[in-house]
Amino acid sequence: MQQTATVRAGGIGMGVRDEKLVPYASQRVAYWYFVVALALFVLQIVVGLWLAISYAFTIPQSIVDVLPFGMTRAMHTNLLVLWLLLGFMGGTYYLVPEEAEREIYSVPIAYIQLVAFVAIGVAALIGFGFGYTQGRPLLEIPTPLDFLVVAGALLFLFNVGMTVLKGKKTAILGMLLGGLVFLALLYIFGMPFYRNLTIDWFYWWWVVHLWVEGAWELVTAAILAFVLIKVTGVNRKVVEKYLYIETALFLFTGLAGTGHHYYWIGAPRTWLYVGGIFSAMEVLPIVAMVIDTFRTQREKGVVIKDKVVWTFALGTAIGHLVGAGIWGFAHTLPQVNYYTHGSQVTASHGHLAFFGAYALLNFTMFWYALPRLRGVVKFKSSTAILGFWVMSLAVLGLGVAMGVAGVLQTYIERIMGQGFMTAQAQMQFWFKVVLFFGVFILLGVLISFWHLMTARQAAEDAAETP
Amino acid sequence: MSNRNAFLFFLVGTLASLVLFLALTWDTHQQVDALTNADKLSDQVVAGKHVFEKKNCNECHTILGFGVYYAPDLTRAYARIGAEGIKTVVLQPEVVFKDSFRKMPNLDVTEQEADDLVAFLEWTSNIDNHDWPPQDKKFTKSADQRRLEGAGLSPGAAAFKEYCMSCHSIGGEGAASGRPSTRWAPSTTRPPSRRTSQLPPQSIRTRRCPPRTDLTEQDRQAIGEFLAKQN
Repeated sequence: MQQTATVRAGGIGMGVRDEKLVPYASQRVAYWYFVVALALFVLQIVVGLWLAISYAFTIPQSIVDVLPFGMTRAMHTNLLVLWLLLGFMGGTYYLVPEEAEREIYSVPIAYIQLVAFVAIGVAALIGFGFGYTQGRPLLEIPTPLDFLVVAGALLFLFNVGMTVLKGKKTAILGMLLGGLVFLALLYIFGMPFYRNLTIDWFYWWWVVHLWVEGAWELVTAAILAFVLIKVTGVNRKVVEKYLYIETALFLFTGLAGTGHHYYWIGAPRTWLYVGGIFSAMEVLPIVAMVIDTFRTQREKGVVIKDKVVWTFALGTAIGHLVGAGIWGFAHTLPQVNYYTHGSQVTASHGHLAFFGAYALLNFTMFWYALPRLRGVVKFKSSTAILGFWVMSLAVLGLGVAMGVAGVLQTYIERIMGQGFMTAQAQMQFWFKVVLFFGVFILLGVLISFWHLMTARQAAEDAAETP
Repeated sequence: MSNRNAFLFFLVGTLASLVLFLALTWDTHQQVDALTNADKLSDQVVAGKHVFEKKNCNECHTILGFGVYYAPDLTRAYARIGAEGIKTVVLQPEVVFKDSFRKMPNLDVTEQEADDLVAFLEWTSNIDNHDWPPQDKKFTKSADQRRLEGAGLSPGAAAFKEYCMSCHSIGGEGAASGRPSTRWAPSTTRPPSRRTSQLPPQSIRTRRCPPRTDLTEQDRQAIGEFLAKQN
């Protein structure tokens, strides 16, 4: 492939600021957020490979006693949350100055906060190794560290909030800040100890579901809107209108849609109806987002200059639709969910949705911001596009393999009523397939990471070649 | 649609869903005590929940379908394998899963912690959650039946049910499905019939089973006679 990507500051339509790649000096804090996030993603995949091995093969008792599956699984998911959040924060610090048209309120706070989050993360991961855990999936971080997380989040919100307050206010900033405040508030519901297991799970989902299908969607929509304006140069007014309509649909369906987690936990029957109806509609805003993205591309006068960023932006729209929309819809109705709940079908959905919606979104921002932060205007795009396809197809393969395992499990265990291990024995082959694709995910991410950090300025004539 | 109207659409849509969600949350709090038998949520049950979290059980197992899919769901574990079954598994996983292709770590659970866990899992097994999980419906039923029918069994059958069926199956009943791939514990109808039937009853030993200190010589004899008759 001879394609090259052209990277321009400001972007067309925005028009005017072409003088600097990175218009505000304080945007540079994003650099380290992105680098750390990428490194943690690599680590997450390495741990994930070990989990796939644990599923696909027999691990001797002597190893299981020292390195239990549960410990490594806690690391896998916490690394996921940590790198995605650091990516979002870096994206926020990159985007806010350009939108608010002023420097970040405090650069030192931004760095202190990064160090704090990484320290909390490292302490938590080492702690898991010594059994220091709250023991609740995804919310394993022990309570004392939880308070530090809240302190770090408050620092972040203060810093971003002050920047927005003192600068220009745009719809994108409003949506972004709204999402971040919502995100921080929800975390509090995951902190107490609940005596009743049913209530425990009820509020656990206030964090987990309302993060991924609420607060994170707002952050995603804001970041995508920013990238759309920059890369395509379409009219800001149009992008903002669709931003409102899409987030309205996301929250309308997503809030009451939380009910799809309350079917089988000992909550009232009403949730079966409300959860079923609202979560069936959850696919609508995602479809709207995909249509919107393609509509932007076809808009008159739009020339996509940045092929790499655009590939990732389209990828995240489609990945979101497949992983979250279609895979989610497939098992969200109570009639289906009764049999698929708590099986590998959920794991398949989780991997496809997190990658499609949030990992690719972060990569969209990485590919927009990191070359600029490194002072690269034009670079050969073939390696970046290769990285995209290797990791995207590998995640798709992994998701499908887990899905097949999940359907087997649903049939053998839930419908035939055979024992758990009988089903697992039949599923083992598919975990070997999962492992196979996992290796390619690692490869794709390493290619992308390496290229993000090393892509060099391409010669002008090469850059002109389509 | 103007941008102002789009913003109004955003506000109204979000608020409508939020109001519905919060109203149902209130309703859930009204009903949850009855649905979960909150009157039976004793301090020991809560202690068991602490053990469950401290020992990271949820990072391999699901409960109410949430958690990790590496090991069986625990919502109805009490109905499925009973108090003794749970205690045997958590105290000596390396013995129970000796022949299994998937192991469970020995988590240094104390006797007290195991009792608390049993209390917790007994409580969860009675949560009214619309009969989920489907595969364990037969165990909740059989647990009821055991209570009703237990009195009519022969001493050998009763002892077998109490001590052996948390790992072994017989005639398609019990913890294991009886298929070799289950690799939990062999079905007791599978040993070579002639050899077993020729053995004196007292030689039916719990050699590879977890040591059962509470198994009296009388029980062992009764189980032996019961099994000898099965072939």
